[in-house]
Amino acid sequence: MDGIHDLGGKQGHGPVPVDTGDAPFSHDWERRMWGLAREGLVPSMTIDWFRHGLEMMVPADYLTQSYFEKWATNYLMIFADDGIASLQEIEAGHVADPAPRAAAKTTEEVVEQVRAGCTDFSLPPDAPAKFSIGDKVLTLDHGTAPHTRLPGYARGRHGTIIAHHGAHLLPDEGARGRHVGDHLYTISFTARELWGPDAHPADTVTLELWESYLVPPR
Amino acid sequence: MTNFDSDKAAELHRHLHSHLPSDPALRVKALESLAVERGLVAPETIDAWVEAYSEHIGPMRGAQVIARAWTDPDFKSRLMENATEAIKDFGFEGNATGHLHAVENTDAQHNMVVCTLCSCYPFSILGMSPAWYKSAAYRSRAVREPRAVLAEFGVRLPDDVALRVWDSTAELRYIVVPQRPEGTDGWDADRLAGIVTRNSMIGTERDLRAEG
Repeated sequence: MDGIHDLGGKQGHGPVPVDTGDAPFSHDWERRMWGLAREGLVPSMTIDWFRHGLEMMVPADYLTQSYFEKWATNYLMIFADDGIASLQEIEAGHVADPAPRAAAKTTEEVVEQVRAGCTDFSLPPDAPAKFSIGDKVLTLDHGTAPHTRLPGYARGRHGTIIAHHGAHLLPDEGARGRHVGDHLYTISFTARELWGPDAHPADTVTLELWESYLVPPR
Repeated sequence: MTNFDSDKAAELHRHLHSHLPSDPALRVKALESLAVERGLVAPETIDAWVEAYSEHIGPMRGAQVIARAWTDPDFKSRLMENATEAIKDFGFEGNATGHLHAVENTDAQHNMVVCTLCSCYPFSILGMSPAWYKSAAYRSRAVREPRAVLAEFGVRLPDDVALRVWDSTAELRYIVVPQRPEGTDGWDADRLAGIVTRNSMIGTERDLRAEG
């Protein structure tokens, strides 16, 4: 979607907080949020729905809430949507009918859970790939779905395929709860194609893009 | 069950916008209380995750991978061929590294990683990302004016070095293999790992120093 989250190439955001933003966490509640999210909490959602949920935040909130604050807001939306808690329970911060406590895990157990959670997003392709390494391609110049991984700055641009990864789950469908494969490529764009003649002639930007985002060059 | 309805999600967000406490600590407290009371997670498990990512999972993992690549040509070729498989030597595979790619800096090319659409990051080998990686400034500018961004990190990239920015918005993740600095001949992998910085594996640092 053409939302506030699509930040690539936007101007006016000022300097990168190189020194003040060096630490991953500044507050204990951020650590709690990270730990909560590592447990997943909502079995029926997909990673694409979580990302799409962030994109559907009130735009001003998206820009003003910090990373982990956005996660908390989004999780509360997802709790309401999934029926894990009612809006009244969310506002109260407690559920009316508590369930038995979950079993506690040790640090060793969660470290192993990270290792075992190495997720493969590839799947057997339904159709042969339309493009090959070295091909020139053109990206679609319009958004296609509520959720897409084709950023605005790379729409309607010519690039060159530098890698083909077979079929991967298409996020556009994952955000709808559907598991559909589509060929995934790494596309290299020259900085000048994206940003004009003032860009450095040797610089490039790469993106992983699905075949359904691409057409042959005009 | 998740409804996968964009309009409903937006409506819920608008409702929460005007009904949630503005203090983020209170929002997270509410979320934790709801999750614990629903039996979805134990508070001690959250403590375990916090400890895991402060003591066990962090950029020291990536640094060990880089040091091995510098000292073991066979490992390096496996890392460049299939990083997801190579890091299994260390047991470092995991969250967000199911499709890991290593990209190598040379005298002629520098690599830098960003995620413009969210903040995708190879958590299982680099730990939690720094706040600047998730900032609107880095996400917006890394693709458009990467040399100016590098300058803010103190890196003056010479004109004759090409810069490739990897915008990692799919499920592929990247780790930059920085160049081994001069003056480290004879160092073992443990000592070398001590000079590999997190930022050098993201690509916002280029010249590592032989200190330590």
